[in-house]
Amino acid sequence: MAASATKRWGMVIDQNLCIGCWTCAVGCKEINNAPLGYWWNRILTTTPGETTGESSTAIADPASEAIDVPHGTFPALGLAYLPVACQHCEDAPCVKVCPVGATYRRDDGTVLVDFERCIGCRYCMAACPYGIRVFNWGEAEQPVDFTVGYGKDYYSDGRLVFTPDRPVGVVEKCTFCVERIDDDVQPFCVEVCPVGARIFGDLSDPDSEVAQLVEGSGATQLLPDLGTDPRVFYLPADRERNV
Amino acid sequence: MSTRVESPAARPAPLGRTGRIWLGAFGLLIVLGLGAWIYQLTQGLIVTGMRDVVSWGLYIFTFAFFVGLSAGGLIMASGAEVFGVKSLRPLSRIGVLTAAACVAVAAITIIPDLGKAQRIWELVRYPQWSSPLIWDIIIITAYFVFAVVDLAVMTRRTTDPSKRARTLRVLAYIGLPTAVLLHSITAWIFGLQIARPWWNTSLLAPLFVTSAILSGTALITLVLLAARRFDRLDVAAETWRALCGLMAAAIAIDLFLVGSQYITILWGNVPRERAALDLVLPGGSWQWLFWAEWVVGGLVPFVLLVVPRWRTRPVLIGIASLLVLVGVYAFRIELVVGGMVKPLLQLPPGNAIGTYTPGETSFQFDGAYHPTWVEYAIVAGLMAFLALLITLGYRWLRSIDTSEVEE
Repeated sequence: MAASATKRWGMVIDQNLCIGCWTCAVGCKEINNAPLGYWWNRILTTTPGETTGESSTAIADPASEAIDVPHGTFPALGLAYLPVACQHCEDAPCVKVCPVGATYRRDDGTVLVDFERCIGCRYCMAACPYGIRVFNWGEAEQPVDFTVGYGKDYYSDGRLVFTPDRPVGVVEKCTFCVERIDDDVQPFCVEVCPVGARIFGDLSDPDSEVAQLVEGSGATQLLPDLGTDPRVFYLPADRERNV
Repeated sequence: MSTRVESPAARPAPLGRTGRIWLGAFGLLIVLGLGAWIYQLTQGLIVTGMRDVVSWGLYIFTFAFFVGLSAGGLIMASGAEVFGVKSLRPLSRIGVLTAAACVAVAAITIIPDLGKAQRIWELVRYPQWSSPLIWDIIIITAYFVFAVVDLAVMTRRTTDPSKRARTLRVLAYIGLPTAVLLHSITAWIFGLQIARPWWNTSLLAPLFVTSAILSGTALITLVLLAARRFDRLDVAAETWRALCGLMAAAIAIDLFLVGSQYITILWGNVPRERAALDLVLPGGSWQWLFWAEWVVGGLVPFVLLVVPRWRTRPVLIGIASLLVLVGVYAFRIELVVGGMVKPLLQLPPGNAIGTYTPGETSFQFDGAYHPTWVEYAIVAGLMAFLALLITLGYRWLRSIDTSEVEE
């Protein structure tokens, strides 16, 4: 199916609601039949006020290299979660560096990888500031001997942008569940989130929930100083509540 | 005048026992490297030490290193013409020969790094002009073609030597900017990336040009030393002096540029930049790179090359050249490692590596990288292939009737 030219997909993640349960990360693996060791989506442990931007690049205290451990020194402790998958950047570095245009951006803002064109040079992995890309290093190892999730090849504009059977030697990443959003179904991580911390919708529609949250709730982007202009927004845990 | 380099007995001696062992060893390494590559093709890049955090490794270090070696030779050959450095002019043909060989092998080095090498033709079918990689492929091709043309002009039989000299001069004026461009574009593959603060410095292109002149000169010095030892090639004292001076100056500029970057990062103290620098500074987990670059490949060869009593001794010049190559290779490793070991997001549980080993985590804060035997074997094969090309190319150059070829 071709991308809709009028839509501009975006996602908002409310860090005040996120409980760090990894359901979205595991759900992502399930819907995409992701092999062992593949994480398109991961949940970082952080602290309020240190969620995005320069401070998030500070090296974590060695005592807190484990997940779910509050950051800081007692009594000034803080705990918040930062789910990170592809940010679907407006000015995506991965799209700019791909020598063959295998990584490309659809008109609706979804950044995708063409499994049939990628030559496996991994330049996009070097270019991505968020470390979200996954390479098929070897034959995929699955935890079960049957395919789970969507389970079929999916073509967009004639390009193979999802396949449950991973070709060795190509790069892959979060697709915003392209096969679902083209069918007007929410991405799977949004659907499975038990607390409704993920909101997905059309940023070009001013009445949509995502557009209103981005406009009116102090939404931030991840590593905003790099100018990549992600289409994933975070509502910081320490923000003023807009009641 | 070039007869200073070409010994009067034009033709090279037939391959002796040493020569056969020499070429045989290269042949063996090439076969082993090819075997390792075929094995890698059947398994995927999982047989390498690279993973999602450090996703570029030995192949990319070596690619950048070979590119550096290539431009050195041509910058020297063309620079000798353009700037009229007479003592370097006799080295033109060897310079251009090594340039052609190195850039060809550099291009080949990219192939084992590709996850889907069989799709390499897509670079031609769907070139994406915003990618520095496409521009690098174009400049590598242009550079190779240029070197071959240059070499053909130099070795062609001619009845009009003055016309040849004019052509060579014109070619030199094209060659010098081409070489500078080759290095700069290769540097920009890394230097334009905002995701890697360690790479994202405008110093990178000048650094690549300098280290290329440095390593290229060291390679040519080693080739000349080998020719002197095995082919009784007579090299003038002033040529050695010029080579030593060029290397010493390049070491100084190289370390100056690297040092400027260190100072900028240390003083600024921006966490994401400090994280990368601290890896390679003394006390960091990759500190051996610092010592390899600054002492083994920097200070020591610099002293050997500037002390008048030492820089006339071929053995010491040879050692200095080898150390220079070690230092430049360390700089390539430092570049890739410093850029990739510390990803920007340093929050628990870290960054996913993309593979799963029972009992081990699939996440890393500091990317780990330990090259495997497959990578070493393939790189050794490529180095042997380069040495083989240079050896055979040298013999071919020597087999040409120099009395007619030279001015």
